Amino acid sequence: MGKEKEESPQGASVSLTRRTFLNKSLAAGAGVAGAGALNFFDTFTTIGVAHAQQSFSFAWVSDTHLYPKTLNTRFVDKATRAFKEVAAMGQKLDFMIFGGDLAQLGDPVELQLGNDLLKEIKIKKHFIPGEHDWYLDMGALWNKLFGASPWRFDHKGVRFIGLDTVGNAPDYWSAKKMSPKDRMGAMSALDGSLAGPWAGIGHKQLQWLQTAVSDWSKANPLIVFTHTPLWECYAPWNFWTRDWREAQEILQPFKNVTNIHGHVHQPLYNEMGNMRFIGQLATSWPWPYAPTGVPPLTKAMIRVDPGDPFDGVGWGQIGWTGNRVDHQYKMWRKQVYATAEVDSGTGDNRNQVLQPRIADRGWPY
Amino acid sequence: MKKANVLKLGVAAVAALFVAGQPAVAHKEPHDAATLKAFEEAFMEQVIIGDNLFHGDPDAEKKMNVSLSKTGMACAMCHPFASDVHPHEFPKFQEQMSAFATLRDMINWCIEKPNEGVKIDSDSPAMKALEAYIYWSNKGSQLDPGRH
Repeated sequence: MGKEKEESPQGASVSLTRRTFLNKSLAAGAGVAGAGALNFFDTFTTIGVAHAQQSFSFAWVSDTHLYPKTLNTRFVDKATRAFKEVAAMGQKLDFMIFGGDLAQLGDPVELQLGNDLLKEIKIKKHFIPGEHDWYLDMGALWNKLFGASPWRFDHKGVRFIGLDTVGNAPDYWSAKKMSPKDRMGAMSALDGSLAGPWAGIGHKQLQWLQTAVSDWSKANPLIVFTHTPLWECYAPWNFWTRDWREAQEILQPFKNVTNIHGHVHQPLYNEMGNMRFIGQLATSWPWPYAPTGVPPLTKAMIRVDPGDPFDGVGWGQIGWTGNRVDHQYKMWRKQVYATAEVDSGTGDNRNQVLQPRIADRGWPY
Repeated sequence: MKKANVLKLGVAAVAALFVAGQPAVAHKEPHDAATLKAFEEAFMEQVIIGDNLFHGDPDAEKKMNVSLSKTGMACAMCHPFASDVHPHEFPKFQEQMSAFATLRDMINWCIEKPNEGVKIDSDSPAMKALEAYIYWSNKGSQLDPGRH
């Protein structure tokens, strides 16, 4: 299982700080090279990593949810914009992670379309799958086009791990005699109940993870990429990974662990022990915040304009500069975080009480 | 409950309320459990239709003769559990429309703009079903009409 790439020397001590601020220089129009005209207003989640050996930067793009162009070019246009922006940064980025949900319904046309669009990007690309990529053919085409997960590689003093948290769902389809299309359809509704607690790592992959970190110094940084968060935010929408406790038990001895994940389509931040969790934007559309489970450490994104398909979406850049790591939301609007409750994606929900949908209720296992 | 049963019960209830030449009235007799169950089932039938429409079910759209989206998007893709619809805040001034709006106005705005579908009659069965699902999903939310 999995693949191993390069090894790196071990680092020394690690110190962590975190702060979030608006980057005034970019707001004033200084911009990132190659992206200055794109109206970025970056936000930085800053994590100091004292021993990082060389400066480098990488990009995260996920949740493009591509439909065939014949049905809808809106998501294609936004994915294209993100990929062009990543490509424009050229060698300023060491690599890119694609964090899953390239396709909307796992259709070969959608996956191949994504593969073609990604050719715009010439830097090294690493892939982890999302559930929308998987449940039509159980990951066959995804693995053929983009390679299997899990994987690991070491880069300039950091160990990077990519896990598959989507391909290990309990079998919700056999008992109901679902066709592949129906299986994918049940999976594609975020608030559906048919697919149940599908997000998970599974015993075999947990064993792989244990081995993958066994030779790594406890003082050195680990970055773990997953489609779903490695903690429990809101299980009914699978804003979690059901065996996150087992994964955290393996990672807990390490002093500096960062989990970067997609799926939530929104700025989301949490810390548990020595681990921190950074949720990423989608390029397709933003989800509302979950009715419960949003941690106090999360600065809620601003309410966005549903009439503007390019609002509330984007991608992420993670950069090592000396001994510091800067995480930036590349959201295509001026202001990312709300500064008043009336504009907040969570403050807006103060009187809201929700209950799960009813039309698909029932547990097949 | 099947439509036919609801209809029979409704006809019987209406008939019972008419006394030669008098207007129809309700609550002349205490409600028994069967009647209340029938009322609830009539409501939940609409909730389930609305749930299926809200989640882009093509059979439900065909049955109700509506086309709520031409982009592949469904209401629930931005509003899982009908969250962030805030039905309890309507009517209100709706910024996107620059107008005072009801929930039904907003439903139609979403159908026409993000979904690029075909606007539905504001008193149509599909609109009532969507409204039923949205209100049911948000049951327990605190009324706060006019809030932005």
